Amino acid sequence: MPEVEYTTTAKLPVETIWEFVREMDNWATFVAGYESHEKASEDDSTWVLKGDVGVLARTVKFAVHVDEWAGPERVRFSLKGLNEPMEGSGTFLLSVHEEEGASPEPGAPRDGFFTRLFTAIARFFYGLVHGRAERAESADAGPGSGMSRLVFRLRVDPGGPMAPMVNAMMKPMMMPAAEGLANQIMATLEKRHGVE
Amino acid sequence: MAGAPAQWDVEVDVVSIGSGLGGLAAAIVAHDQGASCAVLEKASKLGGLSGFGGGEVFVPANEKMLELGLEDTREEGRQYYEFVSAGFHSEPHMSKLLETMHEAIAYYGEKAGVAWKACQGLPDYYYPDAPGSKKSGRYLSVDLFDGTSLGEWQAHTWLTPIMPPGALHEEMYEWGGLAKVTEWDYELLGQRIAEDKRTFGPGLMGFFVKAAILDRGIPAYTETPVQELVTDANGDVIGVRARRGGEGEGKDFFVKARKGVILAVGGYDHNKDMATMFEEMEDWNGVFPAYLDGDHMVMGPEIGAAIASVPNTNLALFYGYQIPGEEVDGRPLWRSSWEGGCPHAIWVNKAGERFCDESFYKDYQPRIREWDGKKQEQPNTDIHLIFDGSYRDRYPLGSFMPGQPLPEGMVIVADSIRELAQRIEVDPDALERTIEHFNAGAEKGEDPDFGRGSMPWAIRLVGDPDYPNPLLGPLTKPPYHAVRLRPVSVGINSHGLRWNLDAQVEHVRGHAIGGFYTVGNSAALLDIGGGYQSGTSNSRAITWGYVAGRHAAAQPAR
Repeated sequence: MPEVEYTTTAKLPVETIWEFVREMDNWATFVAGYESHEKASEDDSTWVLKGDVGVLARTVKFAVHVDEWAGPERVRFSLKGLNEPMEGSGTFLLSVHEEEGASPEPGAPRDGFFTRLFTAIARFFYGLVHGRAERAESADAGPGSGMSRLVFRLRVDPGGPMAPMVNAMMKPMMMPAAEGLANQIMATLEKRHGVE
Repeated sequence: MAGAPAQWDVEVDVVSIGSGLGGLAAAIVAHDQGASCAVLEKASKLGGLSGFGGGEVFVPANEKMLELGLEDTREEGRQYYEFVSAGFHSEPHMSKLLETMHEAIAYYGEKAGVAWKACQGLPDYYYPDAPGSKKSGRYLSVDLFDGTSLGEWQAHTWLTPIMPPGALHEEMYEWGGLAKVTEWDYELLGQRIAEDKRTFGPGLMGFFVKAAILDRGIPAYTETPVQELVTDANGDVIGVRARRGGEGEGKDFFVKARKGVILAVGGYDHNKDMATMFEEMEDWNGVFPAYLDGDHMVMGPEIGAAIASVPNTNLALFYGYQIPGEEVDGRPLWRSSWEGGCPHAIWVNKAGERFCDESFYKDYQPRIREWDGKKQEQPNTDIHLIFDGSYRDRYPLGSFMPGQPLPEGMVIVADSIRELAQRIEVDPDALERTIEHFNAGAEKGEDPDFGRGSMPWAIRLVGDPDYPNPLLGPLTKPPYHAVRLRPVSVGINSHGLRWNLDAQVEHVRGHAIGGFYTVGNSAALLDIGGGYQSGTSNSRAITWGYVAGRHAAAQPAR
């Protein structure tokens, strides 16, 4: 069961990031291999991604259900493959970045919902089409007033007899996709709000 | 053809056009003979068709099988090759192939570190009926190759989506073959994938890429399509004009070849005009990437090279399908279909009739080209795979395992045979008759019409050992499924450049063109004639690459 966690920070208030992230249309195209998505309700959506695992590109469809909206701090979600045997879950956590080394609450689900989802699926089945995030690591903000921290966590469990093999294919692809999505979200917001 | 430029961008002794098995085999041995070499590759990855395929190398009486105690002789190997050829080979070419093959295999094993293994348990195609045929051991493959040893080339060498990653040939058969794919050791495969342990074509080419590019330092230029050959006043080839820098933005890149150019670019599956003309099929689809588009058939004749051919009747043509959404290198992937040979499955043509032994492609291949002279059509080019619920309970379709939803837009499902026939626009009465007749035989483990179950090679590949006849089971359990199939080629074409016993390309006037060699599937199949046996494409690429590289390296510099 490949699982990744990625943390990034930005010189933006938590609320600003939350307002952007809570609307999936804002960042859907940042997802590696994004083809389309459709919102059935506030909590349910279906996604189609395309990317490559090694040499092969393949279309993956999955349903995403938000299990918990706890804005502006947390989103928790689950996902289920519609044409591939897989299940998964993720969290996305937003918090004020107060001091160096501070870590998110132990055990607290983090946002990462979208990021994780995208990451896993995209990397898992498709590979990074867009490459790593354009935002340099140096763009990460240090602790201080107005700083926010994003933590993304995603777990994907392939099913069926080939699961161990799929696991191995997915694993190296998940973190780059998580980074890509998270950093593109932050880069977009920073540009929009004139953060250098 | 181009004349010499004022300034060459690169100057070497030997240039290989194409980084597949033939091109790299030639470069390795030429380097070892003291020649400086370069490899020009059109694709962004090294390995060519060879790195995308199964990686089998067919060598009768090979050292590895003899070490295992499997009996064979070179004379028996010759008998078998002659049977497969059906009399359409050139005797001198076949003789030199068979006489040189073992030397070449040994050379790359010793000098290039290729870890050969004899694949046990897989018979020759025509075993036991063909003279000289053997039950096991003639297919060489390679042991696990460590992809991490390729350094920066690790991500720039072909992997293949058409073979199971991480599995060795013999493991595939030990685990029960394709019919038992749900029971394979996926824990082991997952571990090997994680460690980038390569097998099949990617494993084979991993060894050759490492030996040529890393160990010997031979420069490889990817995304560098050769446009034309450069000749001197005598008509000898002295270099090439390639392009580098991307489509529309590229610049000419002239590479001088003081001793020889080895043209090894595969076939022409993706050149529709050539395929239609040479293969006599309007519908021609290629399993391998689009780089196989007939460059050799342009650059060669452009300087007077002769074309030669063998009958296209029974080389390596299959039926296949596309899974919606699957792509390789930005193009939809054609997969060859083996499912029709499993129990509870058949193929039917537009008339709703079976027309072949679905498990043995050497039987069905000639029937693909069958021509109905009264209707002026080829009735077997557009066919359907039909299978029932029992099939779906036991076997996968492509990589879609039992229980997994089948791809939308690819599979038609119906509760009755009649309804299925209507949905695929086949006469319902005919399809019902066909399946009823097939079932009557299958219940007894017999196929009186086409003898399915009579070929050990097919049984080993797709047979289900749980059945009395491993290739037969009736279609009786709904729902019934249909998948449209089309002809798909794997790059073994009937036409190529004519060449002599030193692998030099011959001019239409009959003489060898100085400085110009061709090997692999770019070279007409003069050595193997009118048939094909899996693994001979690789054995001839290695052998003639070895011959061409040595010969070129021994030439005086121009």
